[in-house]
Amino acid sequence: MKQTNSFKDIGSGEYYTLYKWLFLVVFLLMSFTSMAQTGIQGTVSDPDGIPIAGASVIVKNTSNGVVTDFDGKFQLDVPSTNAVLTVSYIGFETQEIPVGTQTNFNVVLKEDLQELDEVVVIGYGTQKRADVTSAVSTVKAEDFVKGNVKDAAQLIQGKVAGLTISAPSGDPTEGTQIKLRGVSSLTGGTSPLVLVDGVPASLSTVAPEDIETIDVLKDGSATAIYGTRGTNGVIIITTKKGNYNERPTIEYSGYSSLSTISEKMDFLDADQLREKYAEGYEFVGANLQDFGHSTDWLDEITRDAISQVHNLIFRGGNDATNITASINYRDLEGIFLKSETEKYTGRVSVNHAMFDNKLKTNIAVIASEQVFNTLGDGTSFDPYIYRQAIIRNPTEPLYDSNGNWFERDVYFYDNPVGYIQETIGENRYRNLRFDFSMSYDFNDDLTIKGLYTRKGNSNIRGFYRTKKHVSTVKYGQDGFASRGTDDYRGNYGQITLDYDKKFGKHSISAMAGYNYEDNVNEGFWATNRRFPTDGFDYNNIGSGQGLQLGEAGMSSYKNSDKLIAFFGRVTYNFDDRYLLLASLRHEGSSRFGKDNKWGSFPGISAGWRIDQEDFMENATWVDNLKLRAGYGVTGINAGSNYQSLSGLTYGDYFLNNGNWIRELVPSRNANPNLAWEKKKEVNVGLDFGLLNNRISGSVDYYQRTTDGALFNYSVPTPPYFYPTISANVAELKNSGLEILFTVVPFEGENFNWTSNMTYSTNSNEVVSLSNDQFQLTNDFFYQGYTGEPIQIETHRVKEGEPIGNFYGLKSVDISDDGVFMIETPDGEIIPATESSADDRQVLGNGLPKAYFSWNNSVSYKNWDLNVNLRGALDYQILNFSRMFYENPTVSYNVLDTAFDKVYGKAVLNDVQRYVSHYVEDGDFLKIDNVTLGYTLPKDALKFTNSFRIYLSGLNLATFTKYKGIDPEVNRNGLSPGNDERDKYPSTRTFTLGINFTL
Amino acid sequence: MKNILNKITSALWKLFSFALVLSIVLASCTNLEEEVYSEVTEDSFVPAESDIVAVMASSYTPLRFIMGWQGWFDLQEESADIIVTPTRPNGWDDGGTYKRMHFHKWDNLQWQPTNTWVTCFNGINSANRVILQIESGALPVSEEQAVSITAEMRALRALYYSMLLDTHGNVPIISSYGDELPVQNTRKEVYDFVVSELNTVIPDLTETVDMSTYGRMTKWAAYHVLAKVYLNAEVYAGEAQWEKAIAASDMIIQSGAFSLSPTYTEIFDAQNEDNPEMVFAVPYDQIYAPEFGEHMKMLLPDHRSVFNMEAQPWGGSSCNPQFIDTYQTGDNRLEDTWLMGDQINAIDGSVVMTLVKEMPSIYNCTFTQGYRLGKYEIESGATGSLNNDFPFLRYTEVLMIKAESLLRTGRAAEAANIVTEVRSRSFDNPADAEVTGAELQDDTTWQYGTLAEDGSIDQAGDQSFVQYGRFLDELGWEFAGEAHRRTDLIRFGVFQTKNWYNHTPQGDHTILFPIGLEQLNTNSNLDQNPGYVK
Repeated sequence: MKQTNSFKDIGSGEYYTLYKWLFLVVFLLMSFTSMAQTGIQGTVSDPDGIPIAGASVIVKNTSNGVVTDFDGKFQLDVPSTNAVLTVSYIGFETQEIPVGTQTNFNVVLKEDLQELDEVVVIGYGTQKRADVTSAVSTVKAEDFVKGNVKDAAQLIQGKVAGLTISAPSGDPTEGTQIKLRGVSSLTGGTSPLVLVDGVPASLSTVAPEDIETIDVLKDGSATAIYGTRGTNGVIIITTKKGNYNERPTIEYSGYSSLSTISEKMDFLDADQLREKYAEGYEFVGANLQDFGHSTDWLDEITRDAISQVHNLIFRGGNDATNITASINYRDLEGIFLKSETEKYTGRVSVNHAMFDNKLKTNIAVIASEQVFNTLGDGTSFDPYIYRQAIIRNPTEPLYDSNGNWFERDVYFYDNPVGYIQETIGENRYRNLRFDFSMSYDFNDDLTIKGLYTRKGNSNIRGFYRTKKHVSTVKYGQDGFASRGTDDYRGNYGQITLDYDKKFGKHSISAMAGYNYEDNVNEGFWATNRRFPTDGFDYNNIGSGQGLQLGEAGMSSYKNSDKLIAFFGRVTYNFDDRYLLLASLRHEGSSRFGKDNKWGSFPGISAGWRIDQEDFMENATWVDNLKLRAGYGVTGINAGSNYQSLSGLTYGDYFLNNGNWIRELVPSRNANPNLAWEKKKEVNVGLDFGLLNNRISGSVDYYQRTTDGALFNYSVPTPPYFYPTISANVAELKNSGLEILFTVVPFEGENFNWTSNMTYSTNSNEVVSLSNDQFQLTNDFFYQGYTGEPIQIETHRVKEGEPIGNFYGLKSVDISDDGVFMIETPDGEIIPATESSADDRQVLGNGLPKAYFSWNNSVSYKNWDLNVNLRGALDYQILNFSRMFYENPTVSYNVLDTAFDKVYGKAVLNDVQRYVSHYVEDGDFLKIDNVTLGYTLPKDALKFTNSFRIYLSGLNLATFTKYKGIDPEVNRNGLSPGNDERDKYPSTRTFTLGINFTL
Repeated sequence: MKNILNKITSALWKLFSFALVLSIVLASCTNLEEEVYSEVTEDSFVPAESDIVAVMASSYTPLRFIMGWQGWFDLQEESADIIVTPTRPNGWDDGGTYKRMHFHKWDNLQWQPTNTWVTCFNGINSANRVILQIESGALPVSEEQAVSITAEMRALRALYYSMLLDTHGNVPIISSYGDELPVQNTRKEVYDFVVSELNTVIPDLTETVDMSTYGRMTKWAAYHVLAKVYLNAEVYAGEAQWEKAIAASDMIIQSGAFSLSPTYTEIFDAQNEDNPEMVFAVPYDQIYAPEFGEHMKMLLPDHRSVFNMEAQPWGGSSCNPQFIDTYQTGDNRLEDTWLMGDQINAIDGSVVMTLVKEMPSIYNCTFTQGYRLGKYEIESGATGSLNNDFPFLRYTEVLMIKAESLLRTGRAAEAANIVTEVRSRSFDNPADAEVTGAELQDDTTWQYGTLAEDGSIDQAGDQSFVQYGRFLDELGWEFAGEAHRRTDLIRFGVFQTKNWYNHTPQGDHTILFPIGLEQLNTNSNLDQNPGYVK
């Protein structure tokens, strides 16, 4: 018994209790006691051919067994040829092999699909999958999206029901947009809390290639333990870890990829424009005349983007110490010239076990450096340049006869190539994080853990526009430079006490903890102009004369905040049938008003494992059936510091006796009542696994209500001093269904096919926008903006309606002379020229009602193929590009379609307008990620343990009726679905990559 | 079982004692006070003597919205008969905002009146705050200073109220800084408030006119506001106050502190701060007070090379051709006010473009159609903001208030003398400058009526006699593009009756603007002005 116990301990992964000498003793004992028996040997490896150290190999129904060594090798004596070997390792299916006459075994363990014993990371601890009572999803490295991903979130795009991840921008410096279970806050944003190895971080803190698993806590009962930041879900990233007694390995993964613009908009090219001139069309502004050249402006500023990523991980350990070290290099190009980023990330993590393994310590350092070009002042690509390329007259040359950039005095009209070439800019970021953690086991039941992290990041920015840039040529800047820097530092500490006890059919665990966090931000920024030479770039900012002339700018800031919490959790399990979890967090933030700094966030959930009941004994086809229900309260912290305090600012200048002095004005109304937004959520779910888990999945239904949602409320001035105040006023409601369904249609020696589907719905409603203190006479406000020259709001947020409603004029027809005919809310039809703001109505909604995905992974012998499809249903998009450019009267180059007859009747002859003609259905299906891989057979490998090569495509094909570039548009904020005309177009990427392990 | 219980008890004890130790350690770690670094919070602010002007300044700076985007200028001019902003090749529909102003079809979302409301109350609020800080002793001032600052703030508050009196009429009177939700007052009450406030504080206001009082409320500025309010008393309160208008004007005239500017153009120079006409100026500065952006809305992008500017204007608004047609021969103010015809490159002398008078339709004009306002000097190197100070209250207006009041009270000849005096600097031939009392009582020389695309009148509309119409014309020629016109048109009954350009009258209620939706939403005490939906 003792022996099997120790085997189990190895397998548990958590308690590394074996010492090397113990191995030896066990080996020796076994060798001696089985002298008369048959000796066999072999290796145990995973499907990729990587040896599994510590796997147990036992002769069935005996205590005779061994564990594999660092190379996955084992030697064992078996009593007879009738014996059966049982080979097992955590996370893998146990295999039974009749010994027969064979003496050499190569055992390949298959990964365990059942996953019930798998450990799931929950807040401040772990739980067995079988015991989980809330909506928690886990995605492992092998299921990640392959290829040129933007950040950690894109690894699990389409893999988690209810978690919507989109990459609306093709900018390589920009990340993904994440949405979980609808819109729960008006101003608090939709970003989930991201933890990297237990510490708040960002999705780009570690390289995607360095991640082992990502756990997503979705419902309120699961995230309540994270209180103030749990509303939008918690994404827990666990990095790749070393193990004690692990053979040293080096893993390399790398790829290079090619990105192209996924789709171009069809604007008039030079020939088409000349045809229009020939047809007698007259234009003003940009297309006023033929300048005699043929320039494809978009082509001039775009390119085929080549990117490369390399990642190395070193792992290994003895019985007391193990180490993981990784280094990652990413060199990513965007499709626009000078749109590129380079990043190095390094991570070292050392674990130490002492005093009979009672004391475990970890020291880790994560460091990264990123540098990218900037074309805007401090921002990566300036989307204004893209606009200039598409609206520019295609008959204009790049240069004028003097060799300068060809420029004209047209309103907001600048040479895009000159804009890029005459701009020099660079942002450089450094991130550093030190982790130290320690845990001590008082006894088998009680453990104390402490963790401290010091983190910081800083950046320095430099930006220069030369004297040939339009800012000088047209606007007399005479060279413009800016420099800026920001610095962030934070402390994070937590102490937890864990207690675990099992007696009879009862098992309980309890955890209590304290958590402290502070953050300080500061920065500095300066600009200058009128430089004597372009030679300095931004490196000699004092040499500009703008400073003396009062045209230079300068600013600095510093702010800080604190977050402190006490929390506790109890779980109870009766007979593996009835499960209960309750947690409470009491949290305070410095950002809130004097009277409301602290809030309490309880969570409770229960589970019933029906399959464990006696009455299910005969239903052998049911492997897992669990009913779950939970309720939890979470909060959203105030968006920025000091919102509860009244503020004064030294503002504009005032002429006082011939001198300009600064006025002192209020900048903010005090709101001592400012408090937590509280979201209450009910979640009911069912997990199932049928027919040997060939069919498995889960279904969740949630309903969440946000009380006291923060909004910048308009207040009457007077009596208020400042026209807005941040107040807890609104109430929002979200509900939805999430389905995850996994099927294994084929399972065999050579051919395997696993298919999983997710489907999620969400509907939300603004229940109320008023409370006792802040009452609206009207029950709505407007959001979103078209920008000039249309200058009108795009969305309306109204009580009783969902967030994201487009609100504008409903066009139904066009007059013979090309003016939109508008149907008023009363049903009257009037020309747009006679319409007013009162004639607007709801035109659609920018938030999809449902999302789905279908992920297939097929393997045949050494080949594997992954195909991921994704889509969204039932939503609308406001196509800004058509609204602005599908109109022949504007003074810029226009879309080909501008000359098509609207409604088949007449060519548009009206000002640009926001009408329903440009609000389109966005429903789409994307073949998003296809990966074909080949793993070299083990016997073909000499120096490596495994070798895999793959080809992958991202954003391959989109099926949609939407006429714009990409129906995956911005869904954040209160004006979702606006497909802005300047948006950095999304890209299509092909990747060739290899992975190998030494 | 007992064994288990013992174990649990002992474990709980350990847990408890540990938690106890922990909580003692942690008690110090629950401090959530906010630390403030780069901001000033009201609680922590102790004003020094040098902060007094800074605190007062916040009551003046809102006035700079006059020449800002969708500000007072646009409110007064876009709704009147001189300035029109038609759709141009680069846009200028902007949600129909300029057309609604021209058509008088504004609603409760219209920016220009909303900006006026918000800005004026911002100034009023600031003034009240300063008064409160002085009363409460929060500002370190001497008793003498307390009296003069309070008077100045009350006079400034009255100036803001005189603007709201003109635009929204029925606004809440807030005479102290507090947290009560304001209650609406009638236009008559607001009128009485402005008059009584000014009369009360005038004795305590400074009479000094030099750099130390430039851009500040002096006794003369207060008299000017008072004269202007009296001039419009019939509109505001239903009872004319011509004599009081004359009396207030006379106080300024007799002070001798001001005189007519020798030339018309220098009133609008980039450096106009020492012009003798300035009774009350709103100072602007390219660097320090960069809100003067009205020229960007008027000039064409190509004017960059005409004036050697460091900015590229946007080219929207221009002059209604009907107004250009009214100018008398020899009146230099036509050229001094408008940019017309060939526009010359400042460097090489070439013709950049040619501006024409005709503007076919508010729905469709090219860039070069319509004369542009050029009375504010554009310096070489001008940017998106001008240095020119805005002559909000200038001495010529004092004279013209007096002249109009005389004219309306049967002293036409005296009025004509004043008008002739004003005109004389703008005519080369003194004889051309002369007007008679009889002439001033004539009808307007405007050909009112809407224009067809070819410039001919297509709907004449109301052609009835405009009493003292010729005097209204004089006001137009003198004060075109100075944010006066709407008020003048209302006083002469033209605003709500005549057709011009593409505009037809929409009813008497249009002499007041609707109260903004946001304001109605946030203050349930407010009722919408008559004639408008809520």
